[in-house]
Amino acid sequence: MKFTTLDDLRAWLDQLAQEMDLVAPRNVDGHVLYRPVASSNEILFDYERPELSAKDYLLPATEILLRIEKQGNEVTQEEVLPDRKQVIFGLRPCDANGFAAIDALFLEQDPSDRYYQHHRERTVLVGLACPQMWEGCFCTSVGGAPDDAAHLDVLLRAVDGGYAVEAVTEKGTALLKGLKTKERKGDPPPSAADAELVEVADPARWRQLFEDKLWMRHGERCLSCRICTYVCPTCRCFDVTDRVVAERGGVTRSERIRAWDACTSTNYRRAAGGHNSRPTKPGRIRNRFFCKFCYYPEDFGPLGCVGCGRCIVSCPVDIDITEVMRDVAAR
Amino acid sequence: LSEIGKEIQHKARELLETGQVDCVIGYEASPRGGARPAFVYEPDDADRLIWNTACVHNLVTYLHDKKKPRKRGEEPPRVGIVVKPCDSRAINVLLAEKQIERERLYVIGVACDFPPKVGGDRGGAQSGTGELPARCARCGDRTPVVYDVLLGEPPEVAPVEEDYADLARVEDLPPAERLAFWLREFDRCIRCYACRQVCPGCYCTTCMFERDDGLWVDMGIELPQKHVFHLGRALHLAGRCVECDECERVCPMELPLSLLNRRLVREVETLYDHRAGREEALTPLLFELGEEGSPL
Repeated sequence: MKFTTLDDLRAWLDQLAQEMDLVAPRNVDGHVLYRPVASSNEILFDYERPELSAKDYLLPATEILLRIEKQGNEVTQEEVLPDRKQVIFGLRPCDANGFAAIDALFLEQDPSDRYYQHHRERTVLVGLACPQMWEGCFCTSVGGAPDDAAHLDVLLRAVDGGYAVEAVTEKGTALLKGLKTKERKGDPPPSAADAELVEVADPARWRQLFEDKLWMRHGERCLSCRICTYVCPTCRCFDVTDRVVAERGGVTRSERIRAWDACTSTNYRRAAGGHNSRPTKPGRIRNRFFCKFCYYPEDFGPLGCVGCGRCIVSCPVDIDITEVMRDVAAR
Repeated sequence: LSEIGKEIQHKARELLETGQVDCVIGYEASPRGGARPAFVYEPDDADRLIWNTACVHNLVTYLHDKKKPRKRGEEPPRVGIVVKPCDSRAINVLLAEKQIERERLYVIGVACDFPPKVGGDRGGAQSGTGELPARCARCGDRTPVVYDVLLGEPPEVAPVEEDYADLARVEDLPPAERLAFWLREFDRCIRCYACRQVCPGCYCTTCMFERDDGLWVDMGIELPQKHVFHLGRALHLAGRCVECDECERVCPMELPLSLLNRRLVREVETLYDHRAGREEALTPLLFELGEEGSPL
């Protein structure tokens, strides 16, 4: 295996931070979050699962799509997307699998989502394997693993005295040119993946349970907040709006933005005229889980869930996706 | 199961069997430990209900889901609800604001025995911390302000002197630093609206911060929108916030929202001698401003 020390890793990251946008796990007022960093000193190397996924860096919570300027009858539009390369360091494998799930819709369908594609192309994913599974994690039930390299460009594993380095893609190999490594005998030990497996029922099974009482039972206590969808690495719904940012001297400057939206929120399905076709909590909760385990795999291939467990630990009323999965499988 | 847990089950069964209510809102054991809200419709289901220190959620917020009939042409459901003293204050606010009907409500009040059993589980986002919630540490209420039946014996406790000491950590800061403190907190917000959704006092059909036309605030999840949202929400709750602190409990980013709310609680108490939910009364802020006899 290729091996590097923490010091060499830091030197490499400091170099990367000079050359490109570097995002890494950071302690933000007591919360572990993927955030932009200016140097390796800000980076956490020993952490569990960041509380939010990294999707903000490929599908920003708020993204300006166009800048629009209007003067009299003259209208100019300019597209503004960052050109710098971006590295996400310390990405957990489930979060990379989340990007793979989004790819199935945003890259592999025609037309692709050009904004997402733009960020995807400028970004290199450097993963750090979870040494174990954390509270709520069930990645091994949905095709992942705490040290799954499948959708990363580089996978690092903590080993005695440093890190085992594995280039997974050509993009990864190219990025690793600046990292000092040496050969070390043997392979890194696999991460502990001992969490109890949760059965994933196939879409046909889900469809049989569309009218089942269990949606009432799981959905009635839902608060219709957006926590589960916003912490989720695969939830990718957004809304688009235009906003005026300044009006001065006969010139109106506006922006077209898109921002995350959430199917759990009350108004998600409200249409022109005010009709809401999904007006109840159980209906919305059912849709969220059907999207993950029935509609998304049927329409686009992968499951809409990577087993990161964030929605489980952050739900204020303990709606538990694995409990729902078990109920569906057991029916 | 605790003694009170048994009494809650017994009461819920009785209410459902006799048809006094259509639904009882209480707590059930969460498979992950702790407790979570539960809705019971059948007498035989009453055995699911529990009572322990993990029952932190303010269930009054769910009454908004019960205002409309389940089927067109029917009456709205009659509801039994388990409340702690802190939760019960929200019932008073909703009654005064004509959001709920007293005769459709059966209130199962539980005497609060916090803090003797410190520990247990706060449930939900903060489960397993074993810490006494801040709201409990400064609360002397042991008997709900509204109830149809009172379960448990309210313990004798010394009245708690309200000194708003929790506010000092921001109020002692110079204005510029205070602003910096709040902007840093708001920056962490993800605009998930959990604080608003859990709040019994936040029941507008269309929240002014979530209008499709973005009249006041657009949909961007950025600092200016978050800043305006949190300050605006706090102001809309002035004289209405019952200090259940659910907003703070559910916040995934742990924003200290009670500091905003309690700043306004103190303001309204100082000006009007009004503390929301102690009685069935509307916030004086909407009615007494500038009128003759107003303390202003």
